[in-house]
Amino acid sequence: MEEKPSKVSLKPSDRHGSDKESKESLYSDIRDLWTTATLSQSELNTPLSDVCGNFDAEGRSISHTRGWYGQGRRSLDEGDKASRKLRRSSSMEINEGKEDTASEIKAEKSSSTSSLDIAKHIPHRAYWAEQQNRLPLPLMELMENEALEVLTEALWSYRLGIGRDHLLTQELQQYIEGLKKRRSKKLYL
Amino acid sequence: MRLKEGSFLWYLYLDKTYCLLSVRNVKALMEYFHLLDVHGKNTLNDVLFYHFLHHVTDLKKREINLVFDMLDWNAVGEIGFEQFYVLVCILLAHQNHLEERFMYRHSRTVFGLLDLEGDQKISPENFEMYRFLFNIQKQELKDLFCDFDITGDRRLNYQEFKLYTIVRINKLQKRKEKTENAEREKKSLLIKKMSHQVHAS
Repeated sequence: MEEKPSKVSLKPSDRHGSDKESKESLYSDIRDLWTTATLSQSELNTPLSDVCGNFDAEGRSISHTRGWYGQGRRSLDEGDKASRKLRRSSSMEINEGKEDTASEIKAEKSSSTSSLDIAKHIPHRAYWAEQQNRLPLPLMELMENEALEVLTEALWSYRLGIGRDHLLTQELQQYIEGLKKRRSKKLYL
Repeated sequence: MRLKEGSFLWYLYLDKTYCLLSVRNVKALMEYFHLLDVHGKNTLNDVLFYHFLHHVTDLKKREINLVFDMLDWNAVGEIGFEQFYVLVCILLAHQNHLEERFMYRHSRTVFGLLDLEGDQKISPENFEMYRFLFNIQKQELKDLFCDFDITGDRRLNYQEFKLYTIVRINKLQKRKEKTENAEREKKSLLIKKMSHQVHAS
């Protein structure tokens, strides 16, 4: 952000080339987001089917998104363990010197790789706590609902501005229908 | 300007020191951006942008159009994710009362945004147009140009602007220290009173 992004490198045309790659990496890694966000969730009784679903009806990387949703349960378990570990380690610091929990930690260290990754962030507990409290779940559902509301309003503007038969209006309408279908699919799953 | 409570942006966490989003938050934001990118061009046009900002903030139509023009400096009629990200950081900084810190940390970016003519200078008229984004009062803006326009051309170059952000952040820190000291004094006074009462009884 120290550069001058608005004028030098922010041309939309400049961005197009690398977007496919960035999209793919986005989907493959976003499961981390899910895992971390889940740490704050005390009620994990939501069935997996509620959070699963096709990500995109418009031909965008469905398999990738399925990937990170599909790994959800494993991530949830690991995330839960990690959050317990985080809590335990924080209470450990408070009661430092009173209890010897080293053996317990050793036993847990082998439980999962993601918990190890998360354990690296223990020094930033305040940051984690704040972030965990703020991230709503399920995140994707919130984003989709909000996007749907925004796009529905935009559709009205498109219809008024450029007409019902315009290519862009039709494109937007199809996109909204795709989003709605995806949502209803999720509900019935 | 306020963010709509419960909206997706409202949940994002802006780092208070660096005034940036975490990588995870950026990824989530990217996902959100792609959901809004209906035409698959990795951009938002003015209509989509207007409805997005209208939905998540209480900005007026005129203000939204101003923000769009500021971000779409090349007049392409669309904005990409980078501009979108900058805008979200500005909105979150405003929401969390971190405007001074944001301007200080990202002075080059903010300067670039406010330099509408592209001549490496900010005019008072342009700054006035966008002061609502950075929570700057009218009088403060007047004082700014009086105090920091060292070259005397009635416009701010980057060095002058940077100096302003440093002074503003210093003022903020001093104000904070003052309030903290006052609170500490209050507490110590209260403790003294309490201990005095205990001794008396």
